[in-house]
Amino acid sequence: MSINKDTIVAIFLLLFCGIMINSSFDIEDPGYQGMKASFWPTIVLCLLSVMSLVMLIKSMVSSTVNNLNSENTNSQNIFLRYKNASICFLMFILFLAFLDYLGMLIGGVLFVFGLLTLLGGFQIKKIINHSIISIITIGIMWSIFTFGLKVILPEGEILRIW
Amino acid sequence: MIDVILQAFASIVLDPVTLGLMFVGTLAGILAGAIPGFTIAMGVILTLPFTFGMTAVQGLATMLGVFVGGFSGGLMSCMLTGIPGTPSSVATTFDGFPLVRSGRPGLALGLGLWSSFFGGMISAVILVALAPQLAFLGLEFGPWDYFSLIIFALTITVSLSGGNITKGLIAGLLGLFAATVGEDEINGVARFTFGFDDFKQGFAFLPVLIGLFAFSQLLTDVEDDKRAKSPLMSQSGTVVKVEHRQAILIILKRWVNLFRSSFIGIFTGILPAAGGSISNILAYDQAKKASANRSNFGKGEYDGVIAPEAANNATAGGALIMMMALGIPGDIVTAVMLGALMIHNIIPGPTFIQDEPLLAYGVFIAFFVAHFFMVGLQAFSLRIFLLVTKIPMYVLASVILAYCAIGVFALHNIVFDIWVMFFFGVIGYFMKKLGFPLAPMILGVVLGKLAELNLARATGISDDMLLFVSRPWSLFFLLMAVISVIFPFYQEAKKETLFAKLYVPVSMIVLSLPLFLMGSPVRMIVAVILVLTGAYFLYKRITSLKIT
Repeated sequence: MSINKDTIVAIFLLLFCGIMINSSFDIEDPGYQGMKASFWPTIVLCLLSVMSLVMLIKSMVSSTVNNLNSENTNSQNIFLRYKNASICFLMFILFLAFLDYLGMLIGGVLFVFGLLTLLGGFQIKKIINHSIISIITIGIMWSIFTFGLKVILPEGEILRIW
Repeated sequence: MIDVILQAFASIVLDPVTLGLMFVGTLAGILAGAIPGFTIAMGVILTLPFTFGMTAVQGLATMLGVFVGGFSGGLMSCMLTGIPGTPSSVATTFDGFPLVRSGRPGLALGLGLWSSFFGGMISAVILVALAPQLAFLGLEFGPWDYFSLIIFALTITVSLSGGNITKGLIAGLLGLFAATVGEDEINGVARFTFGFDDFKQGFAFLPVLIGLFAFSQLLTDVEDDKRAKSPLMSQSGTVVKVEHRQAILIILKRWVNLFRSSFIGIFTGILPAAGGSISNILAYDQAKKASANRSNFGKGEYDGVIAPEAANNATAGGALIMMMALGIPGDIVTAVMLGALMIHNIIPGPTFIQDEPLLAYGVFIAFFVAHFFMVGLQAFSLRIFLLVTKIPMYVLASVILAYCAIGVFALHNIVFDIWVMFFFGVIGYFMKKLGFPLAPMILGVVLGKLAELNLARATGISDDMLLFVSRPWSLFFLLMAVISVIFPFYQEAKKETLFAKLYVPVSMIVLSLPLFLMGSPVRMIVAVILVLTGAYFLYKRITSLKIT
């Protein structure tokens, strides 16, 4: 018997199913005839629980999957492997968090510039390139959506004050 | 009928705006298909936000341009650099690249291009001929049958998406669950909202799709620091003159291979989830088996280029048949098109061609026209492709991530949709890392509401659950679902085992049962053929077991 990534995922999925099945009891029943609102999600969650259980058992009895100890769990390796993805996550969260203040135009330019610089490097020449790329690309996209497709993109409090 | 076709023709060919959009779409598709790390599906998904402001015909025509262009785009990179631009052009590399290296790049490109064109044309003819007939068949479906068809579409997606079947089923179920969040369409009751008002509207299909597919793919593309910073392709090709005339003559001389490969592509496209990535390899394999010059394959054999390219473009027509006739997406691209139709308040299904004939025939004609654009734009797009390949991936990924946010916002003008995209992007990224296929989840999200609606209709009409197995079509699809779930085990089983020997004949005999129940003479004949063929295989295999 071994514990590996799949075991942890299966346990997480079982917990998720448990919470959601519990939450399905709170779904209101308006008393109409026909299928209740909770019927279909309950079927899906029950099947999901069964499959998660199968995955858990398979992961524990499987001899082909490495157990956690033998997997490359060195924190430095994990950091390097997920560094760029983490930067993208972080920048995107910042972009969304400040969208109301900066708006899509300024926020978008800053997001692209920040991401380009963090992923590409901080050399002067690159920074100049990144700022040009971010201003031009976001400027074009913003113009297409605002003027071409008539989409009202978030203006942001900064531009509103101006 | 003729007047509808003429009107549809006018709406595409005589409308300069639609033609212009198709021009841009095809060009974008060729580039998306040519760039390694990008897929055709991603190209179509990223096109979707631009189509919000268009009419349904214009939107679908643009996406078809991307779809068709994408298939031929893959051949540019695989021939000029030896790196397939998309999974659907992997087999083209086997003989296309050696042909280029032997000093015939113009002929190699010409063979690929015109095989794609002819394959697409053959599938377009089949699409026009078959889709209305299949839709006519679909009119027989009740909610029980439609629910079972959706279950089959999901299970076959799981079994064909490769990898672990348990993980595939979990992904599909997660997709179905994601579709239940928010107010349900039958009773109007909020589900799994946890007190958040934003959750009441549920997760819109587009942000989920962009998140799961495009966002997670971009994160994967920039994962490797070194690769992310270097240009997309280290081996850059050069502009070559395509030898059109000679390529056409060679292909027409090998018409058997062309037709065989095209039909393989169409059939693969009709199967949900089996797209160009499978058809190009299947067609290549069959061309090799049928060829008298087997030893030349892998060294620049013409048939080795014709087969995969004809097949992958024909797959597009096959995938469209299912979407147009039954409202079931054949792959991720047609799932996106289904979403595009829904944005325009059009629900595809068996009555789609009857209810929206102008739009349906507009799609058929756009599919034809897109192939002409593909041929015309190849030389021009080749120059742009050579420029694009000099850009590092991190630049493209950063810009596209921002574009995803803007595009998703444009759907409902709410920031919540961008959060949804981000959330599903993170989920998609980790699911990929953990070996879960994404296609079943995407199909689950697309088909979840439809499945629930049909289940509600079925239970509303009758409490008798046995109708799911007593109605012939429903039984047929449920049996197909069971067979498709078992299929991966059959693939893994050793040929000598009893299970592997019995799988195909027993499946054939079992599938004949619902066909017998349908009663019509043609279906009875098909059932008899299935039983006889199955029995023959069964007899042969059992006797071979006894001998060994």
